[in-house]
Amino acid sequence: MPLKREAGWYKDAIIYQVHVRTFNDSDGDGIGDFQGLAQKLDYVQELGVNAIWLMPFFPSPLRDDGYDISDYGSIHPNYGTLQDFKTFLSNAHDRGIRVIVELVANHTSDQHPWFLESRSSQDNPKRNWYVWSDTDTGYRGTRIIFIDTEMSNWAWDPISKSYYWHRFFSHQPDLNYDNPAVREEMWNVMKFWLELGVDGFRLDAVPYLIERDGTSCENLPETHEVIRELRKKVDDQFPGTMLLAEANQWPADLRPYFGNGDEFHMAFHFPLMPRMFMGLRLEDRKPITEILQQTPEIPASCQWCLFLRNHDELTLEMVTDIERDYMYDIYASDKTMRLNLGIRRRLAPLLDNDRRRIELMNGMLMSLPGTPIIYYGDEIGMGDNIYLGDRNGVRTPMQWSGGWNGGFSIADPERLYSPPILNPVYGYQAVNVLSQKRTEHSLLSWMKHLIQIRRSSPVFGSGSIEFLHPANHRILAYIRQLGKETFLIVNNLSSAAQAVELDLRRYKGNILIEMFGKNIFPRVGDLPYLLTMGPYQFYWFRLRRV
Amino acid sequence: MAEETLLTDDFLRQLMNVGEVDIVVGLPTHNNAKTIDPVIRAIQAGILKCFPRERVVIINADGGSQDGTPERVTGASIDDVWNASKVYALRTLHSISTQYARSPEPGTALRTILAAADLLRAKACVLVSPDSTTIEPDWLQRLARPVYNDNFDMVSPIYRRQKFEGALMRNLLYPMTRAIYGHRIREPYASEFAISGRLATDFLAKEIWNDDWGKIGAEICLTVTAMTGKYRVCQAFLGMKAQPDRSARDLLAAMRHTVGALFSSLDGNFPVWSTIEGSQPVPTIGAQSEVMLEPVRVNRKGLREMFATGVAELEPIFRSILSASTISELQRIATLDVNDFNYPADVWAKTVFEFAASYHKSVISRDHIVQALVPLYRGRALTFSLENREGSGEDIERSVESLCGEFERLKPYLLEVWADRK
Repeated sequence: MPLKREAGWYKDAIIYQVHVRTFNDSDGDGIGDFQGLAQKLDYVQELGVNAIWLMPFFPSPLRDDGYDISDYGSIHPNYGTLQDFKTFLSNAHDRGIRVIVELVANHTSDQHPWFLESRSSQDNPKRNWYVWSDTDTGYRGTRIIFIDTEMSNWAWDPISKSYYWHRFFSHQPDLNYDNPAVREEMWNVMKFWLELGVDGFRLDAVPYLIERDGTSCENLPETHEVIRELRKKVDDQFPGTMLLAEANQWPADLRPYFGNGDEFHMAFHFPLMPRMFMGLRLEDRKPITEILQQTPEIPASCQWCLFLRNHDELTLEMVTDIERDYMYDIYASDKTMRLNLGIRRRLAPLLDNDRRRIELMNGMLMSLPGTPIIYYGDEIGMGDNIYLGDRNGVRTPMQWSGGWNGGFSIADPERLYSPPILNPVYGYQAVNVLSQKRTEHSLLSWMKHLIQIRRSSPVFGSGSIEFLHPANHRILAYIRQLGKETFLIVNNLSSAAQAVELDLRRYKGNILIEMFGKNIFPRVGDLPYLLTMGPYQFYWFRLRRV
Repeated sequence: MAEETLLTDDFLRQLMNVGEVDIVVGLPTHNNAKTIDPVIRAIQAGILKCFPRERVVIINADGGSQDGTPERVTGASIDDVWNASKVYALRTLHSISTQYARSPEPGTALRTILAAADLLRAKACVLVSPDSTTIEPDWLQRLARPVYNDNFDMVSPIYRRQKFEGALMRNLLYPMTRAIYGHRIREPYASEFAISGRLATDFLAKEIWNDDWGKIGAEICLTVTAMTGKYRVCQAFLGMKAQPDRSARDLLAAMRHTVGALFSSLDGNFPVWSTIEGSQPVPTIGAQSEVMLEPVRVNRKGLREMFATGVAELEPIFRSILSASTISELQRIATLDVNDFNYPADVWAKTVFEFAASYHKSVISRDHIVQALVPLYRGRALTFSLENREGSGEDIERSVESLCGEFERLKPYLLEVWADRK
């Protein structure tokens, strides 16, 4: 039964990012599927999240893990049937969990029938569905995104003897959004899934929809026109549907994707994420406060999407050269860990499996303004395998137990879509859901508690933020406020104990209630409020006037 | 002054907020508002450019400025540097300030900075003069890098000097320090230098801070400590050093701070220096020295007059300081016309050594001894200017080297008068 599509539901959401393939295999073929995912919905519900973002599950040659779609209206046979998807969707909604699906709208697989037709001859009716050229010299100012593998954004097609445009891999030709027929067809795709009951779309690679000579072919006004057109149709026909933009851009360039509240509802805050890691390692709040101060206001109905890790590399495109060098040296000293302009590692290994740092980073993720996304497995501290190539090292099977294949599948281990993590520190025998569910102080139990507190108030999702500026730069402190509710968040980014004096005179007379233990702290007076904090400790206080 | 009063509660609070650092940049000031802005900008740019990843703090120890110098230090915005040079700071850069006294005491300023560096566990501590308006951002790297990266304990500067600038350094401080302690350090009394956290901590623990020597000549004491202990010392070429305007009274003060401190250092270090023969070069990064040859006006007549007057008027004092033969030689020189004036290197070296020995024995007030050396130094400075009137940079270097050779050759004479003089 579909959940009611309430406006703004995404502002208070906590999103769990899952790839069907990686989560749970119900039929023993070594590949996760929708029936398996449906079986684990109780786990997702217990975790406390209220939305699932599914990575692409459509038919695909799987040369880019499903981001090379060959049929937008169906399910990849590896993952089950359309009926399996409907059952999963219904079960998720029954548990109050919304489902966001991925729409890779910028490009298709070169095996998509549209492209096969388009390349078949220069006068095929679908020829103009893609971007073709007789030369490979057009749009010269456009950067190459996958610099490790692609030499050009043009690829030669030996069949129709011309070049086609691709911003990602050469087997992913870009659709031509100047063609109204393409826009109409993409809307039909969205409509299909919305009619099934999905709650939102994460639109992949949106800055690249339109190309123009003499530009960077990114963030063009015409691209925004396409988005506004889709948004209007969504609002008119499926109100309450959420559109999430994947646009790896600087905050000022991202801002237009919210438009006047008439483009995307949410967008990933890409530049913040690496700076959280940077701030932690520098033991200095500067990178975090600086990027948030540069972040423009967005319309009231819109929201930032925050994340620590996801299925891609930890992208370092939106940092300066000096910051990138620092991040590489600190977080990816082994060059195998580097991919494109990023670092292909999971959260726990990035943080040296330090429980205090993992907690602090999650604490910031949940308390900074935005909707947080948890990448599957990070809630139990899963590790990665940097030797698997591309980004597959962070897409290994979910670790459910210490048993056969970590409880992911009953298939022979050799048949799994990917080897599970096996090493003594991060392997499924050491890190798994079953063992962590049995322990009150496990990371999983702690994450549940954190999520529960985050969900206890709309302040985190919708409240304002105001940074405090204590002289101790190792302390990141801010006030979150909505209506009469005021929270004080204090994070110690340092590996050592710190003392900090906070100017809370504005809140004189309030007492502080620590939100995890519900303990009372001294009343705020005229003097600076002194807190002492352990290494990587953080406090969430509710301010209360008694 | 005990450490707890040196570091006031307010200063401690500031240090607490700064936390552990990699590098401290110390800036002792007193009414330097006219020159401090470019110095601060260069320091900030140097930090951003050369040490973007390191934890660095600028610490201003102020001796009671009335012109708003500390406010200029703490109020200098890093954004200006960012806008001007497009160098980006990864970290927060703290600039903090403390007033250690109502009147300037260079030793106390240094002690305050070193005590802060020690508390903050700095690996390197760089001192910068507030009137070094020719400072370049690279100075910071040249001074700090050998300490921070290459495990040196002290980096002493080498400046590009105008040919007659730094005469006290060339004619007395450098040759004597080199002969005594065996290290060829060109600027043993430097206003810019860098030291390691280890040396800072060791030096802080020395029993010098309540002596006059510690209050006024701590920098040279620090150099001597570095030379006489098991520390690695090197030099770094910085470039042109702005020469502040000095009056005649400044020379006396400078000699008290430098020569007095150098003489004092001999007392406690006799077992070390008495066994040293000759001298060794120290590793140097960049040029060994550079001399600018622009013509500079020297009042040679005035120098000769002050020398001759001093020799005549201070004769009774010289009798208790100098040997009869030296006095006789000085009296002969005093009769020379300015164009024939010559205070030979060997006589000058013997003069200085006899002064040092008298200072050791405190034959009269130590301060009077230093004062009495002033007119004689003027005579030596006159000779230096005459000898090098037409000289090239190489000629000047040869002249300095020759003088150093005389000091080293005559060191046994110092040992002799050191023991004999009553």
